[in-house]
Formats: sequence, structure tokens, C-alpha cells
Amino acid sequence: MKLRDLFTPESVTLSLEAESKDEILKELIQLLELDEKSEAILFKTLKRRENLGSTGIGKGIAIPHCRSLVVEELRLAYARKPGGVDFNAIDDEPVFNFFLIVAPPLEVSNQYLPVLGKVAQFAKDPEVPGLLAGLDDAEGFLSLLEERAP
Amino acid sequence: MLSTEIEEGSQLMNPELMTLMELQDLRAQHRALSGGESESVEVEQFNIDPTVAAARLEEVIAELEGRLSPPVLKRYRQIAPNRERVVVPVIHGVCYGCFVSIPTATAGDQDVHNQVRTCQSCGSFIYVAS
Repeated sequence: MKLRDLFTPESVTLSLEAESKDEILKELIQLLELDEKSEAILFKTLKRRENLGSTGIGKGIAIPHCRSLVVEELRLAYARKPGGVDFNAIDDEPVFNFFLIVAPPLEVSNQYLPVLGKVAQFAKDPEVPGLLAGLDDAEGFLSLLEERAP
Repeated sequence: MLSTEIEEGSQLMNPELMTLMELQDLRAQHRALSGGESESVEVEQFNIDPTVAAARLEEVIAELEGRLSPPVLKRYRQIAPNRERVVVPVIHGVCYGCFVSIPTATAGDQDVHNQVRTCQSCGSFIYVAS
């Protein structure tokens, strides 16, 4: 499974408006286009995961992730925050790039962990943060995934 | 604006059903910290201490369990030890715990989000997905 196939243009935004950790999570969740009740539950679950330790892995990248009943299949979203935001990242630096990964409690295809690993690998490519910063639109992000995470 | 929308979403559902769904997700997080590949990912990629994190989750799970009414808590304790999912979605009228059709009267009930219900076939708590 290629990462490119798990994103759609609608699940990508290059202009997050939120300025706090909670608001960032909420804006990310809205990219998945769930119903209101599901959004509320997912927010609580992601927040509880963040309370165990930040998913900001350093170098301006965060990968909020969880399993939740509110999705029927693996769902991903990407968002860029121009200027960055404090996300309590491991390196205490602002986070600019957010990859949201949500999987159902049980998956037949068991893609969650391999995809989480692939996203982390992609994000840790030293050239990727610069390339993400230079994107103009969602299609550019999808092309970058095609190129760098085959 | 954004906060209000998501907070309103949490008010649309029966609080006890909401708590059960939270418990479901927290139990999944706890399992992820209890060994295997998912624990390794959390440790290696996110610097999580699995012992500390699991203990913290257990505290939250206990606190949420304390919010359940006695009959719901009793049912929850009957099914939780043996199943990975205590709450299952109902999609297109089918319980995703046992894949048996839910009676139309239940699946189509507009009030279903305001009551805690169980599948008559498998006994799981049910959540009617929108």
C-alpha cells in the first residue's frame, strides 16, 4: 500500500488556522469529514493519546494517531501550519507539519502500524520538511508522496 | 468556532454511550502499550514509556468506568474481559460485532443516540454510525 493512496486532496490542507494544540487537533479531525459525534469522540481519544506523550517527533513534524471506533477504515490527513505552533514536541521546537492517522479498533488488513512506520520514515527524510514548506497545493503534496514514499 | 462545533457534537449523544465509546478507544490504546509491534513503535518513534503510559491509562479507564450506571457497568464488566470491543458500530442495519441484522425498529430509531442499547444477538453495546 502506497501512502499516496491513503490521502485525498480533501484530506490535505496547507493553511491550518489554529494556534493551539487542541485547536490543531480539531482542525485536523475536520479534514476526515466525520459526523459531529464522531469528531467529538475522536478529539477526546487523540487528546488522551497526546497526554501520554506528545506525538511531535521533532524537526517540525507531529504524527497524532490512535485507534478509534469512529472510523471504519484507516484514515489519514495532512496539514501544514505556516509559522508553526507549539505542540510540546520532543525537541521543544514548533511543529509545522501534521500527519493524522486514525485506524479502527480491529483491521482485517492490519495496515495501521506499517503505515505509521512509513509516515514516520517519510517525515524523517532530511529533505522532506523543506519540500513540504515549498508546496503550493494539495496535489503537490500527493506528488511528493508518490516520489518520496513509493 | 471550531471548538464549539466539536463540543456540540459531544452533546448530541447519550453521555453514558459516549463514555463507553471513550472506554473502547482507551482500551485499544492500552492494548497498544501492552507488548508487540505497536508498543515498539510507541517507544521507538514517540519516546513513550509504556509502563508509565499504561498506568496512566488504567487510571483514566477506572475513572470513566466509575461514571457508568450500575446496570451498564455490570454489563460492561461481563463483556469487557472477553472481547476487544465492548461497543460495536451498526452499519446499514448490521451489528459489526456479530454481523447479524439489528431489528429495523432499533436500527432506524431516531432516539438511538439517546439510549444505551445492546445487540440482542451478541450482547455488545451498539453505536449506530451516521
